[in-house]
Amino acid sequence: MKILCDRQNLQDAFSVVGGIPPQKTPKPIVQNVLLRAADDRIVFFATDFELSARVTLDSVKVLRPGEVLLPAKETSALLRELSEPTLALESEEHRCKIESGSGSFVLVGDDPNEFPAEPTFDGTRTFKVPSAVFLEMVRRTSFAAAREETRYAINGLLLDYDAGNLRLVGTDGRRLALTSAEIEGGDEPARAVVPIRTLHSLLKAVGDDGDQDLEITLGNSQIAFSLGDVEMISQLLENRFPAYEQVIPKVADSTIEVDRSLLEKNLRRVAVLSSGDVRMVRFEFKSSSLELSAESSGVGRADLSMDASVDGNGGKISFNPDYLLDALKVSDLETIRIDMTDDATPARFSLGENYTYVLMPISGS
Amino acid sequence: MAEHRTILHADLDAFYAAVEQRDDPRLRGRPVVVGGMGRRGVVSTASYEARRFGVRSAMPGSEARRRCPDAVFVSPRMEVYLREAQVVREVFESLTPLVEPLSLDEAFLDVTGSAALFGDGPAIAARLRAEVLERTGLTVSVGVAANKFVAKVASDLRKPDALVVVPAGTEAAFLAPLGVERLWGAGPVTVDRLRALGLATVGELADFPAQLLAARIGERAARHLQCLARGEDDRPVVPDREAKSISRETTFERDLRDDEACHRVLLELAESVGRRLRRAGKRSASVRLKVRFPPFRTVTRQAAVDPPTDDDLQIAALARRLLGQVRSSRQPVRLLGVGAAELIDGDVPRQGSLFGEDAPAVDPRRARLTQAVDDLRERFGDGVIRRGG
Repeated sequence: MKILCDRQNLQDAFSVVGGIPPQKTPKPIVQNVLLRAADDRIVFFATDFELSARVTLDSVKVLRPGEVLLPAKETSALLRELSEPTLALESEEHRCKIESGSGSFVLVGDDPNEFPAEPTFDGTRTFKVPSAVFLEMVRRTSFAAAREETRYAINGLLLDYDAGNLRLVGTDGRRLALTSAEIEGGDEPARAVVPIRTLHSLLKAVGDDGDQDLEITLGNSQIAFSLGDVEMISQLLENRFPAYEQVIPKVADSTIEVDRSLLEKNLRRVAVLSSGDVRMVRFEFKSSSLELSAESSGVGRADLSMDASVDGNGGKISFNPDYLLDALKVSDLETIRIDMTDDATPARFSLGENYTYVLMPISGS
Repeated sequence: MAEHRTILHADLDAFYAAVEQRDDPRLRGRPVVVGGMGRRGVVSTASYEARRFGVRSAMPGSEARRRCPDAVFVSPRMEVYLREAQVVREVFESLTPLVEPLSLDEAFLDVTGSAALFGDGPAIAARLRAEVLERTGLTVSVGVAANKFVAKVASDLRKPDALVVVPAGTEAAFLAPLGVERLWGAGPVTVDRLRALGLATVGELADFPAQLLAARIGERAARHLQCLARGEDDRPVVPDREAKSISRETTFERDLRDDEACHRVLLELAESVGRRLRRAGKRSASVRLKVRFPPFRTVTRQAAVDPPTDDDLQIAALARRLLGQVRSSRQPVRLLGVGAAELIDGDVPRQGSLFGEDAPAVDPRRARLTQAVDDLRERFGDGVIRRGG
């Protein structure tokens, strides 16, 4: 194999797949990325058996077709460091030589014939959504999904489609983020739980450029995302998402409106003094104000008051400030709405068009 | 540093029943049974008057009624007992910071360092008994010895309202005439085996050839029991509030291969750790697993728990998952240990959960069940109840 190509293009394409090879694996061969060159285009392919991605790069000069495996970590690092506009890649045995003009680098890969084949995909049900819309939906919900492995059942986001409406839901059992959008996808309902890792890889791979449609195809146990030159196929998680609709409060004793960016700023300030065994900030809604306070024994105490329009009796409720900041950060509203009942009932935050966040308070404070 | 330690074992006499007799003069001098009401209730405490009729803790209420038809049965008033226990605990802690509570009515105190303040062991024990009596009206039996095991045997010897002192150096002589069932770790099976060897008293056991004993009951058990029989026990008094972590481990006489058996052991260890967490009023944010593969390769793993837990099943599930990460199926193990670290106070505010099933420890029914099991085990020992299946 021998090719000539633009360094920036090569680096961009490589970064789509470069994050997929696992750091630790019983099968070290998948720590490589497969490069296949033919017909004046190259294809990169990487997999960790659960998630695989391929990206096609045109506008390459293929002098000699062929395949080679590139060690993902070293190749990524090397491409970042090179600055010459054009690179020449040439393979010999299981090595690949990269010439930049100022230097030559030999990367030792492995036998491409031993590399896992691209997965077969069984899906037929296709949805179309502008990529920027979908990526924003992922950003609005993914932070709320469980990180610890113990809650594997909700270690992903729920895609819940019904009659032209796609919902994305993330929860770790203490908070829940829900957002929705109108999309193309037919009449029949569909549900799938997508690993959070897959969606993070998608965010990294496709970036935020433009109104191109992202094509999402659902299979029985797989999901595929396709956008331009990029295609990702992922295993789905077991469809055991909790009954999320039940925990979204339908009624509340008080409805409060506050300035979002001011709340975010003030919450950060008060949260400085909330370190302890449990991170906690107390909210007290009075008739026209919100009093925030936090205390850390032996460290100090913070009290802060801000304007709020309170409809109802208000009251006291405590939250983990980090959980709320996560959501306030991705909200783009000027004024947000909070529906709360008491310190033992989940509070509901309306953070944007079709964007709801439910947060369980800290009790016993 | 003193040549030997001074350890007190203090044990309230028929605690719950004594509180009832204190609060209701009509009950004084009469057989009183706390608990054992209802169709399936078991006795939680019997007064000494009732014990004379053979009424014992853990006995079904119906059996207690049969043995002692004149007994007065009263419902437990846990909140009162807890309040009294708190007062007693304050007395203990006014004498030494090294207090290791075993249950509501029982604790070890290491008073070695308190001699300059309060006098020698017997003096401190007398003071403890007087103060508990003055502040609560309850009597407490105390054993004074150079280690935990002998102190515990001593406190039990002449109950109720007794003070038994075993001077350092006289432990073996003190223990010699007692029955082997007094030895900590000698369950019914072991006791039967010892009797079969003609060993009825601790003294006979202490003098028995070690090798012969080991051949009969295993080397580890033999060494352990003979140490105790000679009155040797170097376990420290561990105050709960100083605990940075709580752990339990067990070494197998024969390497364990069976996966199910490993899981069973992890569950038992987790139950023990969970119970000590609850007793200390703590929750753990980090569960640890220790495994020794034969011959000597020891591996430890830990997993974060958020929110922190004191739930046996959750600890066991994590330990099991960690074991799966380091051990392949049927791989032999020599030792298993489960620990809880990063302890926080159990009564600090808690992050609530949106879904019930997400937070097993928060399920009030399970928490109540766990509490009930704890109570039983505190009173009657670990063997009294086991998880099914």
